[in-house]
Amino acid sequence: MKLSKYVKFREEKFGGVLFETQSEKVFTLNPTAAAVVREIAAGGDEDQIAVRVVERCSGDAGTIQHEVRSFLSDLRSKGLVED
Amino acid sequence: MAIPGAEAGQATRDEASTAASERLSAPLYVAWQITNECNFACMHCIEESGPGKRFRDELDETQVFAALEQMMALGVPYLSFSGGEPMTHPLFFAMVEYACERGAQLKIETNGHYLTESACARMRDLGVKAVQVSLDGASRAAFNRIRVLGEFDTVVAGIRRLRDAGVPVEINFSPTRFNVGEIGSAVDLAYELGAYSFYTGRTMYTGNAVKAWRHLEVAEDDYATFFDVLRAKSLEYRGRMRVYFHEAGLLEELRYRLREPAALLIVLPNGLVKLINALPFVCGDLRRDRLEDVWARFQSAWRDPRVANFVDELSRDPGKTRVLHQWIHL
Repeated sequence: MKLSKYVKFREEKFGGVLFETQSEKVFTLNPTAAAVVREIAAGGDEDQIAVRVVERCSGDAGTIQHEVRSFLSDLRSKGLVED
Repeated sequence: MAIPGAEAGQATRDEASTAASERLSAPLYVAWQITNECNFACMHCIEESGPGKRFRDELDETQVFAALEQMMALGVPYLSFSGGEPMTHPLFFAMVEYACERGAQLKIETNGHYLTESACARMRDLGVKAVQVSLDGASRAAFNRIRVLGEFDTVVAGIRRLRDAGVPVEINFSPTRFNVGEIGSAVDLAYELGAYSFYTGRTMYTGNAVKAWRHLEVAEDDYATFFDVLRAKSLEYRGRMRVYFHEAGLLEELRYRLREPAALLIVLPNGLVKLINALPFVCGDLRRDRLEDVWARFQSAWRDPRVANFVDELSRDPGKTRVLHQWIHL
């Protein structure tokens, strides 16, 4: 999984932004969402990304995995990531 | 842990916009008019560009690359180079190469005259995100009338070369009283030429248009038909080509921007930085100011009462747009 060709990510104090430059749409991210996008940028498939996020977050692993997968699905549906 | 999902900001044709722009560390989009020189002398040009219209104080090579270096260092993800005609700038391809090699997404806004096969191939190889070409008409007669010194056939051939080279193409259309009726066929032509986006909106009463307004002004009834056609075309091409159009007038747009400034800097050929093209206010000078300081000033400048006052005055005197080139330094 990777960011789509026309998507740029930038870290911000509040988390981050994703900028889809074809449609010129901006998506704001909270710190947790930004952490997930950082892992996407680092590379790997959905499972690997979810595992790495779980390792970096405190809390119930099952819940975190579920939320990460849901977020990745959201990004995919918006065309912000591709496999 | 909570991941609420990516929250979309509003996006418009030119303006990378977000309600959170005041919280951003840097602009998301820099629209850089790299020269005021142009080989065309268009009737409606808001920059009053044309042959011999290069500013005497345009940025030199050292200043150009110092500005680019700062944009890259601050992580500006998206740039556009326009003009004037950007491809007349002697450093054009060097600037394109610099930005693209450092990962910026770059759009070129051109009149399309210099789109040779080799230029298109070079843009593709450098990874230019898109090239936006102004095509104000579906006929040679309408295009050549508004684009003084321009040649419809040359521009259409250039767009075809972009498409053949695999460079994403956007088409821009400025309505006037003599081309407004061609909007439907202009959208069709854009699609046939391989464009993925088509942009249009109301032509502004500023720049060269002030002198030529009696030839250009579009009647409101004609605008109503124009936007009806665009709505239909937007549906017709859904999923194949995006048809963007701004139905709102300038005043409405500026009032919105007062509330929600876009994360966009407009850089003039001499390094001055404007709040937005449709206002005369300047908030920095890249010849002497650091980009991060300009960005900080940009954010506070939108709250300067002179800006809101100017917009209020525009509501009483729409003709005030004729003074947009009389810059006011905030």
